[in-house]
Amino acid sequence: MLGQQLVNALSLGCVYALFALGFTLVFGVLGVINLSHGAVFMIGAYAALQLVAHLSFPLWAALIAAFLVSGAVGLAIDVAVLRPLRQRNAPHLIPMIATIGIAIFFNSASQGVFGAENLRFPGDLLPDQQLHFANVQVSVLEVAIIGLSFALMAGLLVVMRKTRLGRALRAIAESPKAAALLGINVEGLFYLTSATAAALGGISGVLIALYSNAVFPLMGQPMLHKGIAVIILGGMGDIRGALIGGLFLGFAEVMSVAYIGSTMRDAVAFGLLFVVLLLRPQGMFGRVLERKA
Amino acid sequence: MEWFDSFWQVYSNLVLTVGINALLALSIWLTLSCGLLAMANAAFMGIGAYTAALLTMSLGAPFAVALAGGIAAPTVVALVIGGPTLRLSGVYLAMATLGFGEVVRVLILNAESLTGGALGLNGIPQLTQWWHVLLALVGTLLILWRMRRSRIGRAFEAIKEDAVAASLMGIGVMAHKMLAFALGAAIAGLAGALNAHLTFFIGPSEFGFDRGVDILTMAILGGTGGLTGPVLGALIITLLPELLRGFRDFRTMMNGAILVLIVLFLPKGLWDPQRVRQWLGPGRR
Amino acid sequence: MKRSTTFLAHALLTALVAAGAVGSAAAADIKIGAAEALSGPAGQYGQSIRNGLQLAVDEINASGGVKGNKLVLQIEDEQGKKEQAIDVFKKLIFQDKVLMVFGPTLSNSAQAADPIAQAAKVVVFGTSNTADGITSIGDYVFRNSVTEADVLPETLRVAIKHANIKKVAVLYGNDDVFTKSGYDAFKKALETLKVPVTTTETFAKGDVDFKAQLTKIKASGADAVVLSALIAEGAPIMVQARQLGLDVPFIGGNGMNSVKIFDLAKEKSDNLWVGSPWALTSQTKENQHFVVAYTQKYKAAPDQFGAQAYDAVAIVAAALGKVKLSGNLDADRQALRDALPTVTHTGATGAFKFRQATTKDGKPAGYDAQQAAIVSVTKGGKYMIEN
Repeated sequence: MLGQQLVNALSLGCVYALFALGFTLVFGVLGVINLSHGAVFMIGAYAALQLVAHLSFPLWAALIAAFLVSGAVGLAIDVAVLRPLRQRNAPHLIPMIATIGIAIFFNSASQGVFGAENLRFPGDLLPDQQLHFANVQVSVLEVAIIGLSFALMAGLLVVMRKTRLGRALRAIAESPKAAALLGINVEGLFYLTSATAAALGGISGVLIALYSNAVFPLMGQPMLHKGIAVIILGGMGDIRGALIGGLFLGFAEVMSVAYIGSTMRDAVAFGLLFVVLLLRPQGMFGRVLERKA
Repeated sequence: MEWFDSFWQVYSNLVLTVGINALLALSIWLTLSCGLLAMANAAFMGIGAYTAALLTMSLGAPFAVALAGGIAAPTVVALVIGGPTLRLSGVYLAMATLGFGEVVRVLILNAESLTGGALGLNGIPQLTQWWHVLLALVGTLLILWRMRRSRIGRAFEAIKEDAVAASLMGIGVMAHKMLAFALGAAIAGLAGALNAHLTFFIGPSEFGFDRGVDILTMAILGGTGGLTGPVLGALIITLLPELLRGFRDFRTMMNGAILVLIVLFLPKGLWDPQRVRQWLGPGRR
Repeated sequence: MKRSTTFLAHALLTALVAAGAVGSAAAADIKIGAAEALSGPAGQYGQSIRNGLQLAVDEINASGGVKGNKLVLQIEDEQGKKEQAIDVFKKLIFQDKVLMVFGPTLSNSAQAADPIAQAAKVVVFGTSNTADGITSIGDYVFRNSVTEADVLPETLRVAIKHANIKKVAVLYGNDDVFTKSGYDAFKKALETLKVPVTTTETFAKGDVDFKAQLTKIKASGADAVVLSALIAEGAPIMVQARQLGLDVPFIGGNGMNSVKIFDLAKEKSDNLWVGSPWALTSQTKENQHFVVAYTQKYKAAPDQFGAQAYDAVAIVAAALGKVKLSGNLDADRQALRDALPTVTHTGATGAFKFRQATTKDGKPAGYDAQQAAIVSVTKGGKYMIEN
């Protein structure tokens, strides 16, 4: 059983990480807790579902569509709501509240348009086979999710560390005013970050909807709660933190189900969270001090 | 007075809920006034609610004792977790306290034998009267108003502006933050205790993320410049579902849209003393 | 002058008498309130219930109403939140002055709002509340939603008999009142039937991954999995179980009794046993009539929530048929309450009658449903009734 549970933990951890990556990106660069990330996650899933179910798109095309649609929505949110708030230097909680309103709006809009019941992707989209090795079953989808999370983390880290774009983003994360003085196109990069983070959210929406066989209007909300836990554990605003934090949470949950008892699962996971909060509130890779203006 | 009697029959619950929500909004206003973005007040409300309900139901305690317990328990918890978490600032503190809120919810859920777990506590005696809520609200407003005008209030403002400068001036930053945090917890706990004895039933899902978001929204919406803002915000957020009832299925959507619009166009919240002064013309001070 | 005054007086008197006569001959609409979750997480259940209620009301009105009086259904959205349920109940009872209230949708909301109706001496009739502590509130509380405690023992008995089950694993949602009470009922039934439990696992609402729990269950060697879940989690659970190679039968509670399982789990939905007072495939005359009418009107197959709501209206109408409405609201509300307990009805959910419950101190209180359960198993995208 241990082997299977380890694989379970890995795939669950990567599910959490996928969601958290976009979430933490906005936090790190824009300094905003973007609680509408759950909504763009959901929008990506619905967009893909509509295309697959009604226009018979293949999966890869639907994924690209989800990327674009969610990215566009993320960009729109930034331009219409976050940007005006930046321009008047609103204190940090204000954009967070705005994103709450946006999430409420989109969640209930999708309930109105698509109905409240659970929908599901057609079963033949992905090869259904299970891969067997060493007494362990893992599905093609899980392998894809695991692969994608690691690839994304690696890719994002490379961008952050080795490219000019990355250095510019890190400068902004440190201090947007200083970055602007250095000639960096801060606004443009904010747009890029918001759009990319949302686009990643949309992709994770499709993948997780496939994984859990469920598309429903409020699907982003439980993920958001886990996402908050992940970035607290891993460190807010840090890309490595999103993956490591996600894996940590996934392992904690699966292992406590397997070896302690599933009633204790949330207690263990959140107990760990609590301990981290008490001993090292900034998380594994996080920083204590707030960014300078 | 007949119309009042029938009005009260239909709307008493709503009115009392406005009062309780006002207490919650004030509790978070208090922490905000010290520059703390703490989002744990929903959890503190839950701790207060469960403590008070258990005192009444399992120990048969009189209402006053239950209320006292509902105030004391979250205060103690706040003092315990305040130390490490208040080291954080800004959005980091907000996130940490959000996480703490989840921890509390899960604890309540799993401590089944004590809290009834998911089934919650049912059949709580309905002891809250309108004058309890009124007294609590007036008392809280009085305390906060006095505090604002005192040295403590000025210290809060200084810390909010620039914590480093404040500590250089000799203000005990950590001590003041703890005061704001713990007192906020106490008020939230009182609100929870009153709420529990109003609605017969409490469950773990009521004190989680959604409630925390509601409380914060009430304060920010109403305006954090003074004490009127949170009360006004509570009034609006509580009444909004009633007012929007005509919108049928679009009600929740309108809720979200209104929130975004107010944040965008009324940055200091609805009750902004400066704007009010502007309206009233240059003749007034 | 005198003659014209007399004439006027006579005319007036005649007019008054005529008006009075017309007034008493005219039908008085019967206002019935319903507080259901039309939005929010419980929205799909509330909407099914609303459909069932409305369908029944329309049918009754089309055939002349109750003793010539039309039923008017006033539905309000309580959003699945208990504060809203309380506010809506108060509005319906005190402002709109309805004769009785259907709902609310969730057991949590019922625990908060039903006491209001009880105190106001207005019948509250739940069609979807299955938790404990509801009918024990008082004698104005009724429900026709059969509780898990009544259905599950039957489901277990039939499943065990057919599938040769010796020991089971249990999986339930521990953060939802419905699934948790379902578990409590399952646990009691398993103890009574002396079926050993290999392991008990839990999950939470909104979980997407159940493989940790399912892996453990598979390793425990159970012959079947007893599952207390709503379809939202139940469907992924079945799919992930089959993916892990866990092919044993699943035995589900009320929440799993919905045709949506076929949509959501496709071919992995086979071998699920459910018990419920209602089955889509039940061939009784009343049920077929209901299914056809519902599908025609709402372009979708009905579920248990719709069926129970539909029957509930008929039960209330039967009670109203026994009552003479006087126009005095308080008296009428009490008369309805007094007439309800003895109503029996055979509707889409089969033969129905009430059974009185007791309060916590043992005094007589509200009324639960007394109905036989139908046990079915899924096979090839359909529910097949077994006994």
